[in-house]
Amino acid sequence: MTEKKEGYILTSSPHLFSSSTTPKIMYTVLATLLPVAIVSILLFGMKVLLLYAVSIATAVATEAAVKAARRQSIHSIYDGSAVITGLLLVMVVPPDLSPVFVALGAFVAIFIGKEVFGGLGANVFNPALVGRAFLSASYPVQMTSYSQPQALFPIAGGVDAAGGATPLAAARFEGVVTPLKSLLLGQIGGSIGETCALLIIIGGLVLIALKIVDWQLVLAYLGTVFLLTGLFYLIDPGTYPSPLFHLLSGGLMLGAFYMATDMATSPYTPWGNVVFGVGAGLIVVVIRLFGGFPEGVMYSILLMNAVTPLINRYTRPKTFGSPSGKGAVS
Amino acid sequence: MVKTSFPKGVHPPEEKDRTSNIPITDLPLPEKILIPLSQHLGKPAKATKGRGDTVTVGERIGEADGFISAHVHSPVSGKIKKLVQLPLPGGRMGEYMEIEVDKEATEAFSFPEKEFDLENATQETVAQALKEAGIVGMGGATFPANVKFTPPKGKTLDSLIINGAECEPYLTCDHRMMLEHAAEIMAAIRILHKAYAFEQILVGIEENKSDAAQALKEEADKYQDLPIQVITTKVKYPQGAEKMLIQALTGRIVPMGKLPLEVGAVVSNVQTVYAMYEAFYREKPLIERVLTVTGDGIAEPKNIRAPLGTPIAKLYEFCGGMKSEPRKMIAGGPMMGIALPTIDYSVMKGSSGYLLFDRPSVPEEGPCIMCGRCVQACPMNLVPLRIAALAKAEQYADAKEYDATSCVECGACAYGCPAKIRLVAWIRYAKNFINIRGL
Repeated sequence: MTEKKEGYILTSSPHLFSSSTTPKIMYTVLATLLPVAIVSILLFGMKVLLLYAVSIATAVATEAAVKAARRQSIHSIYDGSAVITGLLLVMVVPPDLSPVFVALGAFVAIFIGKEVFGGLGANVFNPALVGRAFLSASYPVQMTSYSQPQALFPIAGGVDAAGGATPLAAARFEGVVTPLKSLLLGQIGGSIGETCALLIIIGGLVLIALKIVDWQLVLAYLGTVFLLTGLFYLIDPGTYPSPLFHLLSGGLMLGAFYMATDMATSPYTPWGNVVFGVGAGLIVVVIRLFGGFPEGVMYSILLMNAVTPLINRYTRPKTFGSPSGKGAVS
Repeated sequence: MVKTSFPKGVHPPEEKDRTSNIPITDLPLPEKILIPLSQHLGKPAKATKGRGDTVTVGERIGEADGFISAHVHSPVSGKIKKLVQLPLPGGRMGEYMEIEVDKEATEAFSFPEKEFDLENATQETVAQALKEAGIVGMGGATFPANVKFTPPKGKTLDSLIINGAECEPYLTCDHRMMLEHAAEIMAAIRILHKAYAFEQILVGIEENKSDAAQALKEEADKYQDLPIQVITTKVKYPQGAEKMLIQALTGRIVPMGKLPLEVGAVVSNVQTVYAMYEAFYREKPLIERVLTVTGDGIAEPKNIRAPLGTPIAKLYEFCGGMKSEPRKMIAGGPMMGIALPTIDYSVMKGSSGYLLFDRPSVPEEGPCIMCGRCVQACPMNLVPLRIAALAKAEQYADAKEYDATSCVECGACAYGCPAKIRLVAWIRYAKNFINIRGL
């Protein structure tokens, strides 16, 4: 009966841990985004690859710099979260944006959007969208100049450049509705990673199957947009595009699967996710149909981010055996 | 058979294969035992024997001190060498009695089987027998059984729940007990039913032990007068937690901060029921138990019947010794068990097993990413991430608002946490402050 010199490890229960880790979650998200990124490069050219490189490098470097300045371990740069922010930021900006602006956006995303709050998990707003909001407000012209992609899928009938720069702008300001097939495959003008809805949906479904993305939020978000835009479409199909058009155009799919569901900035209760989704859906529809912008996904998510702590509080599960009335939902 | 469950929970690896097919073996009598007088929830027993006294098997050596306490009996014949203060698992100090074993006398002693007077079984005689035998919950909570089976005035126990879930990974002692002692377990249930006239008797067993469920079902079929049902539940942790099992089997919800009797239920672990059989039919007090010694750090994992007070080193010896030098030793299951600093501990009434690990997982804690997996895992419907954050911020009153005191410390939250935050440790911390400050 020998005892090792170091002695036995004393820790409190439980002594078993699941194999799930934060970096694993982040790198899984990245893996499902990779096809979207590759297709975006094929659609818009090598300039986009440069943007990805600049954005990710800036995001990671910013995080490392802030951690170093705060005398904290810079080990967090390996958890993959800064890489996701850098990647997502590029996906939500126009293809012709200058790398300088992208770097600026990535810096703001990480510095203001994440590290100021204390880093991963402590941030209130989706960092990539904070970066995009900053760029939209600072450089409105560059942020709304969309070029058309190359014809990638011949079957789709070439690039649909009918009317305006993006399908949403075309529908909103010129009354031209882009065919759904073009939206699905990404043969349209738009932000870099938003155009190929099909790949985003596939990646998102994989994340739902792996329980990394909450299906309640996605379903509530997309369902609300579908139902409300469907209602207006039924009232006046001449003025309002179909609900499917709304689902597949703009940043809705990327926003619903990859940005609204960001763990740190979305609710942690099942019903909270439903409330978040419905709220974000409402905001998108109001902005798209009645607002001054053709697209409202970014603001819908940022606004719901702001009320997420409140949603968490009011959708707290009812404690087992607590008298009815105490706590919010079961 | 119906498959049922409580909502939420987690699915840790079962790891029961090492021992689930190994029959229970008796530990050779040790030369000395070190038996603690505090092996139960409540006040420690008061020593009724002292240094130099000789004792025989089954003789009372410690007396229950107050209502929530339990007698302690000598598992051996021999001579008391000394009374010493030593740490109990978890760190608190407790009184131990060291008894030098008289091998011959101990082996010669037996508890003859007698016919139990079934017709005269009443709630009083049953509770008295449980008290005399020093029986406590052997699933780990060690709550005195006679207290559980003495409902306060105005309350009735209409449902007897037999807990054979054994949801803790690695442990297989209850599984083996059900397989090897189904008849005795059922005989004890019959007496309990005679005294309490339950409306329903529900045996809950996780699906991964269908052979045990089958064995109990066959025994149950012999008693046509018992309103008994053997129910297999989903394999999910913590299916065997008292409140969760009651919910899974009866649909009843035990109110916050209340005991199962509030909903007319009484829950007993299968080994506790077996101990009751021995008390009823042989007047044998609780002096030994079956436990599982397993893990990748032990040469031959086993299910062992050992006298209470057996030094755990004897168990390891019996299992072929430790492989290399294990780095972690756990008393109990891996989800709720206590890590031990040395091998200087003894088998107790609540010891369901000892685990030895060569390469224990001690992952580094990261920041909370608010993923909510702990919220989805918590069987008590708490928000562990919030309570832990409030504990770290020393906001104990707010932690109480989040019902920290309802936590059963099952560990489901911390198990699933991708940031590896020691949620249970933090919640326990908050609970201590809430108790001490009377919040």
